[in-house]
Amino acid sequence: MISRFTYFKPHNLNEAVQYLEKEENAFVLAGGTDLMILLRRNLINAEHILDIKALPEMDLFNFVDGAGLTIGASVVVNRVVDSEVVSAKYPALHQAAASLASFQLRNRATVVGNICNASPGADLPPALLVYDAVVNITGPQGTRQVPLNEFFTGVKRTVLQRGELVVSVQLPEPGAGDKSVYLRQARLRGHDLATVGIACRLKPDGKVAIGIGAVAPTPKRLFALEDKINERGISKETIEWAAQEIREHIHPITDVRSSAQYRLQIASVLLKRGLLSLIGKEE
Amino acid sequence: MDKECSMYKEHVESGKRKVTLSLTVNGRHVVRDVDPNMTLLHFLRDNLKLIGTKEACGEGECGACTIIMNGKAVTSCIILAVEAEGAQITTVEGLAKDGKLSILQEEFISQDALQCGFCTPGFLMSTRALLDNNPNPTDEEIIEALSGNLCRCTGYIPILKAVKRTIERERKESGF
Repeated sequence: MISRFTYFKPHNLNEAVQYLEKEENAFVLAGGTDLMILLRRNLINAEHILDIKALPEMDLFNFVDGAGLTIGASVVVNRVVDSEVVSAKYPALHQAAASLASFQLRNRATVVGNICNASPGADLPPALLVYDAVVNITGPQGTRQVPLNEFFTGVKRTVLQRGELVVSVQLPEPGAGDKSVYLRQARLRGHDLATVGIACRLKPDGKVAIGIGAVAPTPKRLFALEDKINERGISKETIEWAAQEIREHIHPITDVRSSAQYRLQIASVLLKRGLLSLIGKEE
Repeated sequence: MDKECSMYKEHVESGKRKVTLSLTVNGRHVVRDVDPNMTLLHFLRDNLKLIGTKEACGEGECGACTIIMNGKAVTSCIILAVEAEGAQITTVEGLAKDGKLSILQEEFISQDALQCGFCTPGFLMSTRALLDNNPNPTDEEIIEALSGNLCRCTGYIPILKAVKRTIERERKESGF
């Protein structure tokens, strides 16, 4: 049915890196919920599959006071959904994770896979972006850290070089009183990518962060909009203004899921709804 | 060089060599040689002849191929057989015991929770995984756990009823 490939499941990270460096057409397998679709539709010709699920580094999922949250590359989305510390400290991430695909897929799909697949409409990146997530990468040249905001380079493209693997994604600890929310609009629940997905965060110092998906070639932090909102100071009036202003900061396209015009409109609605909920106001 | 590393070397040298897979399916230990590119679904259906698990969309969207792997409901059409090395798997064939249908299966029948039946094995396995982890779920939790299973003829109300009656009967049977 699908490409004929060799399958390699190392227990040692160095072996994994060496394999990826050496082999042409090698693909990384974690949950497989994106990779298997590409294979089954014959969209890629894989000669080698590297399964990372036996690498101990990839299974790390912990929260350390002061250091924050680390999510290893083989941690599945439902582990994040079920995590009390994520619900308490990173509500937008919990909500984004709980809205991703369907229950069975969340038992396989990984958080890091959702990043590495680099879909413009992926659910988790907007939530991870508002927490200033950092991607831990290892490769032939050693390890490096890339802010998630600089990780995506285009539709389905990332900064990863040949031989490089993402080991984990790391989120700094939010201060006490930090609030966040993830809202998504989709044509139907459970079986569709988001038409627009937006994460809003209100930090204890009153500053906001906004991450958005499906309105540009990559998921984005809207830094320029955040600065303008923060200059004005968060209030119901500022939010009304921001809901119009966001149209100047995103560049959606028309595709099978939605027209560009609808995306502009729904982004405006979701931003307003999200920010209002964070300051405890109704529409 | 550990075992898997030498295994990989043999693959390269011998072309696409089969991989020896060892796992437990419905309580039975199974060892087979499989192609690395075979899906777990096809392994169950073609190699083990467990044809209760169905393939519909083939892309993890519809849930017809749902099985329980290491306690979790997963779509077997987008998992490679080789990924199931060492796994504990339950398919729909593992629900009935000693020729007698399980309570869950009986309630799907009593509530007319199926018509064509193609989605039913998937619904049964998603429900079983839910109730094994959470014997007393809320309606919302049931709906969430079944969110990845599509039914195109019966609709979901009889299925929900069957699940709720199963919960009642299993609770009585376990003495709570």
